[in-house]
Amino acid sequence: MAGASLLLAWRELKKWVGRRGVFISSLVTPLLWIALFGKSFNLQALFTPPQGAQLPPGMVEAFRRAIEERIVSLFGTTDYFTFVSTGMLVVFAVFQGMFAGVSVIFDKRLGYLERLMASPVPRSSIYLSKVIATVARVTILDAILLGVALAMGLKISGAGPIDFLVAWVYVVLLAAALAAGYATMSFYAEHQEAVFAASNLINLPLMFSSSALFPVKQMPHWLQVVAKWNPVTHAANLVRHHLIGAPVSDYWLSVAYLATVTAVLLGAGLYLSVRWMENR
Amino acid sequence: MECAVEARGLVKVYPGGVRAVDGVSFCIRPGEIYSLLGPNGAGKTTTVKMLATLLKPTEGDAFILGRSVVRERYEVRRLIGVTPQDLTSDDEMTGWENVYIQARLYGYPAGEARERARWALEYMGLLDVAHRKVSTYSGGMRRRLEIAMSIVHKPKVLFLDEPTLGLDVQSRRHLWDLIRRLRGEGVTILLTTHYMEEAEELSDRVAIIDHGRIIAEGAPGELIAKLGGERIHILMPGPSEAEKLAGELASSGWSARAHGSEVVVTVANAAEALAELAPHLRGAREVRIARPNLEEVFLELTGRRLREEEESFDAFRYRVMTRRLRR
Ligand SMILES: Nc1ncnc2c1ncn2[C@@H]1O[C@H](COP(=O)(O)OP(=O)(O)O)[C@@H](O)[C@H]1O
Ligand SMILES: [Mg+2]
Repeated sequence: MAGASLLLAWRELKKWVGRRGVFISSLVTPLLWIALFGKSFNLQALFTPPQGAQLPPGMVEAFRRAIEERIVSLFGTTDYFTFVSTGMLVVFAVFQGMFAGVSVIFDKRLGYLERLMASPVPRSSIYLSKVIATVARVTILDAILLGVALAMGLKISGAGPIDFLVAWVYVVLLAAALAAGYATMSFYAEHQEAVFAASNLINLPLMFSSSALFPVKQMPHWLQVVAKWNPVTHAANLVRHHLIGAPVSDYWLSVAYLATVTAVLLGAGLYLSVRWMENR
Repeated sequence: MECAVEARGLVKVYPGGVRAVDGVSFCIRPGEIYSLLGPNGAGKTTTVKMLATLLKPTEGDAFILGRSVVRERYEVRRLIGVTPQDLTSDDEMTGWENVYIQARLYGYPAGEARERARWALEYMGLLDVAHRKVSTYSGGMRRRLEIAMSIVHKPKVLFLDEPTLGLDVQSRRHLWDLIRRLRGEGVTILLTTHYMEEAEELSDRVAIIDHGRIIAEGAPGELIAKLGGERIHILMPGPSEAEKLAGELASSGWSARAHGSEVVVTVANAAEALAELAPHLRGAREVRIARPNLEEVFLELTGRRLREEEESFDAFRYRVMTRRLRR
């Protein structure tokens, strides 16, 4: 089963790389995002005293310290670029999920799925291959994102290889959860428009109601409640914790919650997808 | 084992209530080419999909080399090769990649899979285009690739659902030769088609299927012989004239039936009968002697043509003519 899943995932990746335009644009997108998102908003600049203001130097210094402390308590870092580029690693897991669904729809329309289903390949492999391919895509995109962010001034304080590996596991969990959801939905959907519509409905709210782009503490109360239940928040917090040492309120609770959401989506998706394939 | 493929009372009712297959039973003997011949919508594809475990029968069961398509689905999938009616290859990949992946899916390790893929592509005459993207293939090449993908694991039983759909005469003939070659190697083949020449050319036995039921079965020669005699087709200006002529002929002792604007007269010897018929043929647009064939069998059984909707009288005549020229 593992062999067949990997083989089919390899097919997906080969097609992804083969579509030059799509491949290049999916590489450029992350770069554009962090460049625009991360560099257009300079937290420190907000708190530089206006030109020509006459303030005692001691007071300016004390002020700066107080504000910096406040920023760190919100963002876990003084640098918004650092904050947002680590959040972006997680956002990409959210946004790539939909392609697992698009690929299912394509295989249905192409007739390729029918050929797969006539072969003795386990139905679970067909489903899992979509999840694996998405996870692989996210890994590649995140590696590039991370490299570029480091070059652009991402400050990683004392993160070792283990931290990168563990952070990657959390990204994988989130990517797998979304890919599972989209793939399953797409077995039952007739048109790819349905998947696009669902992703429009799901992706942006999921991103903005999480700690990926903005700190939760400065959100209105109701949004904070949503954010607390949003797995993206937990993934983002865990990734930041490992890469830039930002504090998490309850590390193991976040891990358990994220893992549970992934397990449930992956499991329910497996059951429903196989059911769709076998009961026609 | 007596049947390589045995269908027992297969029924498929689609959600929404369409009864696409309505109690189909047959037995395909090992090593034979067995055809399901019927018009569009007759239920051929639905039958094949049930045999290939792609659809669950609503009622009934079928056995591939003794394995149930309902209860032993994975075992059945190992035994069969399927060429679905619609193209299924991935046109963003090369022919080689398509066939190679297929071999791996049947469990061959990489090295062996490469050998199998090479064999299948060579068998279907695609080796020299193997490394081209499928999107650059011609219609005939794509159809051959479909079969290459279906035989890469050397299945004992092969399902070919309208394998030559939309191909030109030459590509079709080429494919027929390849299909016959496969039978020569002992593969049992179930073929579906709505081209009567195809069924006639290839099959050891034919089942004529209409509205989800088999209405006749036998060797093509047998079915045609059962028709008895020859057929004279008389094309009249319209259906009412045809009705009138059929009535007139019937009342003077001929065996005549009207089908649309056409009257079909069954006679022992067409050449002799024509002279006697001559007085009745005033107003006829065209008169034609039809060699007895499966098309005539279908017409006799159902009163309709196999490809009524897509074919005019002239196209039909042209096809019969080109057939004769080829012989
Ligand atoms: N998925 C489906 N849902 C509902 N009806 C279907 C479906 N597929 C085929 N049919 C109907 O079942 C009948 C038989 O179709 P099919 O098996 O494709 O015939 P054939 O292959 O002989 O042309 C047709 O009336 C067709 O419209
Ligand atoms: Mg069909």
